[in-house]
Amino acid sequence: MMTAVSVAIDAVSITLILALAAFGLAIIFGLIGVINLGHGAMLTLGAYFTWATTAAGVPFLLAVVIAALGVGLIGLVLEHLVIRHFYDQPFETLLLTWGFFLISTEVIKIVFGTDFRNVTNPLPLAFHLGPVSVPAYRTAVAGFSLLLIGAAAFVLYRTTLGIKIRALIQNREMASLLGLDIGRTYKLVFATGALVAGLAGALISPMLSVDPYIGNIYLVRSFFVVTVGGLGELLGGTLIGAFFIGGAETIIALVSTQAFAQTIVFALAIVVLRFRPQGILGGR
Amino acid sequence: MRLTRVRLDQTDGTLRQPGRPRLLDGEAIAGTGVFLMLAALPAVAGGYPVYILPQYMLFGMLALSLGLLWGFVGVVSFGQAAFFALGAYTMGLAMQQTASPINPAYLGLAASLALGGALAGVIGYFLFSAGVRGAYFVIVTLALSIIVEQLAVSQSQITGGWNGMFIDRMSLTFGPLGEVSLYDDAPIYYVVLAVVAATFALLKWLSRATFGKLLVGIRENEDRLIALGVRTALYKTSAFALSGAIACLAGAFYGTHANFVAPSLAGVLFSTEVVVWVAIGGRGYLLGAFLGGVLVASLANYLSAIIPRYWQLALGVIFVLVIVFLKGGIAGAIAKLLAPRRRSPAR
Repeated sequence: MMTAVSVAIDAVSITLILALAAFGLAIIFGLIGVINLGHGAMLTLGAYFTWATTAAGVPFLLAVVIAALGVGLIGLVLEHLVIRHFYDQPFETLLLTWGFFLISTEVIKIVFGTDFRNVTNPLPLAFHLGPVSVPAYRTAVAGFSLLLIGAAAFVLYRTTLGIKIRALIQNREMASLLGLDIGRTYKLVFATGALVAGLAGALISPMLSVDPYIGNIYLVRSFFVVTVGGLGELLGGTLIGAFFIGGAETIIALVSTQAFAQTIVFALAIVVLRFRPQGILGGR
Repeated sequence: MRLTRVRLDQTDGTLRQPGRPRLLDGEAIAGTGVFLMLAALPAVAGGYPVYILPQYMLFGMLALSLGLLWGFVGVVSFGQAAFFALGAYTMGLAMQQTASPINPAYLGLAASLALGGALAGVIGYFLFSAGVRGAYFVIVTLALSIIVEQLAVSQSQITGGWNGMFIDRMSLTFGPLGEVSLYDDAPIYYVVLAVVAATFALLKWLSRATFGKLLVGIRENEDRLIALGVRTALYKTSAFALSGAIACLAGAFYGTHANFVAPSLAGVLFSTEVVVWVAIGGRGYLLGAFLGGVLVASLANYLSAIIPRYWQLALGVIFVLVIVFLKGGIAGAIAKLLAPRRRSPAR
């Protein structure tokens, strides 16, 4: 019973944290169709910015804000210089964002070094539910993840901006004919996705050792989260995908090793994509 | 399907008049020149180049396996390194069977060809028959790389884990006629050169056959080919299976040449290096892919000694610049320079 409770709590927090890590990709890939292989690099950059600013004495929350804005800015520059010329060639954006990953990883190695870095956990406490102890920081991040997804839902379905973005996804030409500034909306969505990825990297950084390749693990997982959940199903899709990937991994890891669990989950995700290429929630 | 009357140009997809069929096109002639030069090299240079070049040629063969997919089917695999490593491990395991009545190296080479082809065939059919295209295929192959790397690490009782696996140099046996040891660098150089040149010739021939034309057709407009009654999933699967078999065979030779295989050979980073080679060399050109593999890998080896911290950065920047400004890579640029002269009399 105790294990069941703690596994359930683990699965929920892992699901929500994975959803947070994948959310930036869900925005960029799901909304404007850019296959952002630089997503992992954006997470890594967020983590390194947080490490660098907290090491310089900036309080954690401020460091997270700086990291998110920094990665958002980098995303904006990337979009403006390169990506915006290639929206009609999705495959080229895949290669270009992969080039961004290569460059950004090397720059990180040169600027920050290749050693493992640790960001001090800002909430080192744990609270106890009976005999089960739950780390406070994980819970806070999981809660924030829910909040963020809720906020995105609000923007997308209850604001004018949301209507514009949805119009853009549904019919780009028609939206453009009706006077929507396509270029600006794309730019906004891309930069927001980068900002959210940076934010996720910043918030995840205290939970693991930061090295130049941490984003890689999350890159493939995030893609499976987004595609298994359903492309463009920003809210439910991300949550269901994250539950499928993260939850399954937690449960399988109980009876085997972590590496084996990940292998099984990837294989399962491939099977799901084979039979439902549109994802679990995807329509059409 | 009879597609013999029309020739699809690989670079721009334009239709050309049949004209007289040429036995060799520019790429085949240039390729012959490159392989002849490589064959002459041990006569003029010895030592390190003769030792190291076969490894780069095998990288070139790995690049060819991706060039086939990318150039003709328009599908990119980020998992070619997984097949390469699989071949090297298969070779390593086979070479340990010293009690085998057949030459264990032959077992290893045959097994890696079969394994690579079968694995790619199964994965390819599984995905392509459901109409999985482009980006999803990239993600799945990326995951394949991760899976193979993790298996290589975690199954350490078979693979040696992080420590890697030692593999002996193979030898060629000719039944009662005797045996040629490939322990020295010169003999294995020529064996590898022959295998790589044969692979190039095979792919070149396939690309000019109906099979290659159908693949280009799928790349240009898959829906139309489906409408014409072509079972495109079958052709894409065959191309991927062939690509997997080639990558696996290249890995088997690489293992026995380098004497060593480690999990990083399957990794995501190595897989994507292959993509970088082919992009720089020229997608759509088999020779471009091959030379991209050979030259970028040698350049990487050279530069990583001089500027270890910056060459990968430089490679990343070059990769992005090529994709933005030089979509066909270096081979594409050369072909463009030569093209107007070749075509002007016809128009």
